[in-house]
Amino acid sequence: MFKFFSSSNIYLLIQKLIKFINSIFFLILVIGLTFALVLSPPDYLQGDAVRIMYVHVPSAWIGLACFSVITLLSVLNFIFKIKNFYFINKSLAPVGLLFTCLAIVTGSLWGQPTWGTWWAWDARLTSMLVLMLFYFLYILTFKLFKSKELIIKVSSAIAILGSVNLPIIKYSVEWWSTLHQPASIKITGSSSIHSDMMLPLMVMLLVFLLYAALIFLMKYKTEIIRIKKKNIKRD
Amino acid sequence: MISNFITMNGYGLYVWLSFSIAFISCAVVYIKTKKTLKKYEQEFLVELQTLTLEEKNKALENSKVAQQILAISSKAN
Repeated sequence: MFKFFSSSNIYLLIQKLIKFINSIFFLILVIGLTFALVLSPPDYLQGDAVRIMYVHVPSAWIGLACFSVITLLSVLNFIFKIKNFYFINKSLAPVGLLFTCLAIVTGSLWGQPTWGTWWAWDARLTSMLVLMLFYFLYILTFKLFKSKELIIKVSSAIAILGSVNLPIIKYSVEWWSTLHQPASIKITGSSSIHSDMMLPLMVMLLVFLLYAALIFLMKYKTEIIRIKKKNIKRD
Repeated sequence: MISNFITMNGYGLYVWLSFSIAFISCAVVYIKTKKTLKKYEQEFLVELQTLTLEEKNKALENSKVAQQILAISSKAN
């Protein structure tokens, strides 16, 4: 079981996954863009501005999901000292940062035509900005410190501290009066989004998830090569 | 119809800018990540070349990663 999780086996698996994602990515991207920009209907209130949702919402979800995974793996790494978790987190953080930045920028572009402002210091927007800052701090620890032990300690502390912000982001629209609309899609309970918009949103989510996986795998592969290069004479 | 598609009924600037920023930044990150990966693969190969024949064979025998990188670089050449 543990032999399967050796870096060599993981490397081979990564190669196969990258090939697989590369083979289907452009087809799903074209389908996603066709749905998002052509087939999906305009909103009765927001008109065609609603199409920004197809890049904004998946970006925000992935930004949040990456930080949740980073926090979980940081805690597990702190307890069980599994070195792969360190490399997974290191490879995942830039992906999360990219999507959090995209969520903020596209949100701002969506805010101008619908709210009449690019930015407001309301709870949802500010908490997303805080998440972005935590990502910056998290990535900075890998650049600032040399000792791996110190990096694990500091980055785990940042991840755990930053995780407090995750429920704030999720529930900010319910706890406070914000410009941002409440969630239209609920895992439990009925969603208030029409299926004509739900389908393009899910396809675009798949596109962004595949892209996120691709970047993560390439970064993780780079980390494996870096370690193997260091240990080449020992091998 | 095409003009409607481009102008998005007055929201074209915001919609197209959102999609453009998203896809351009994704493309830049992809290219940068791929470049870094290639750089490390090259550096690994250079490191492999510095080994003696015996060390090189041992490294290739023990490391599937080394075998894979060597195979990919041979294919590319």
